[in-house]
Amino acid sequence: MRDTLITVLFLSALIISFSCQKKDQSRPTGDITILSLIATLNPVKAWDTTLITVTATGSNLQYGWEADHGSIVGSGQVVKYAAGECCVGLNTITCRVFNDTGEVSDTIKIRVTSYFWP
Amino acid sequence: MKTLISYFFVLMLFVMSLYGHGKLFAQCCTSGNPFISDAEQPALQSKVLTASLLYRYNDSHQYYYNDSRYNDLPFTQRSFSNYMEMQLAYGITGWMTVQTDLGYFINKTQKTSNQQTYRGNGLGDLGLQLKFNAWHNTKARFSVSPAIGVKFPVGVFDQEVDHVKLPIAVQPSSGSFKYNGSVFVYKGFGKKLSLAAYGSYEYSQRIESENFCYKYGDLWIAAIYFNYQAWKSFNINLQFRNESRYKASRGYYETVNASGYEVVFFTPQVTVSLPRNWYLSAYADIPVYKYYNDLQMSFGYALSFKVTRKIDFIALKARHSANQSNIAE
Repeated sequence: MRDTLITVLFLSALIISFSCQKKDQSRPTGDITILSLIATLNPVKAWDTTLITVTATGSNLQYGWEADHGSIVGSGQVVKYAAGECCVGLNTITCRVFNDTGEVSDTIKIRVTSYFWP
Repeated sequence: MKTLISYFFVLMLFVMSLYGHGKLFAQCCTSGNPFISDAEQPALQSKVLTASLLYRYNDSHQYYYNDSRYNDLPFTQRSFSNYMEMQLAYGITGWMTVQTDLGYFINKTQKTSNQQTYRGNGLGDLGLQLKFNAWHNTKARFSVSPAIGVKFPVGVFDQEVDHVKLPIAVQPSSGSFKYNGSVFVYKGFGKKLSLAAYGSYEYSQRIESENFCYKYGDLWIAAIYFNYQAWKSFNINLQFRNESRYKASRGYYETVNASGYEVVFFTPQVTVSLPRNWYLSAYADIPVYKYYNDLQMSFGYALSFKVTRKIDFIALKARHSANQSNIAE
């Protein structure tokens, strides 16, 4: 009986794990507007850096950054983006601008080219 | 001695047979729990519990291009981690053992010259495994233990510092469900010597979110173990292990060229048996051959220390009954 229970629990865990997916969540916007999100260099060679700047309107703004591949260096309104050879391709950098009233986000696509064949 | 050599070749063939699928590749952004490479892989006997606590230090600093070191990058980089894992295994019956493990990264750090240091920490993945005592012959000291398992990404995969998400390489969890199957074959010779082979395959589920779609390459591991009981309570284990990963993919159709590796490790291990079924192990993972697709940070060395407590409930019960009988008399 106990063996059967363990087996059923294990199989249930397998099924649940197949059915789960990660989902992004974002809160509704307040009085914030993103005016621009630009990079100084695009495309960029692997391990080179490009500066990304966000310009937004609103009060007491804070900035969050996320790259699907590669690294964000620094924080705030202007950050550096760099990616290695593993991240060659079209990468998405997401900028989140938020304050107490809400948040908005925008993305910029940056192409990273190979270190050897830029 | 002839028998020993023939068993060795059989085990070698078993290990090599796992590699009948051609060239293997892997990925650069390895995250999640590391493979715990000690020799304690067989299924347990019925009503036996083992509880282990492991500490592992890992250090990498060398980029590789194919099978050669690459030193021409305009920066230096070093990755290191301090990792702990708790492992519990229990022999439900004589033929089935359930094992669970939970990893925790004290730190997972990436230092690059002239750049900020990234440091992640927190829970890694939770592993659940069923091991089966498929074949066991006490007299011949021979056993075959297949196992299936799943790893749950219960830990941190979206860690941020100052609202900036850390790169995947320092995230403690892999962010992906992983499914694995393995088999451990053991053969003892006389009282002091044993040979074993281990093979496993791990499939990672694709991670899908609004801005991230990524699948780690499948992982194959094959190992052979040579164990010698040098003294009554002192064991020496020598292991050669091949870890191979296919290339990762991003999106649904794009292969990550700078991903995939094949690394051969030499892992010497010593285990000391202490009174009351306590065991202390120390081992090192030393890469002796590395092949990386394109240009990637390669594996460095790792040092591990493990303390294990084994409780045999049947023996305990028998001892308890014997004590009761003695008191009654």
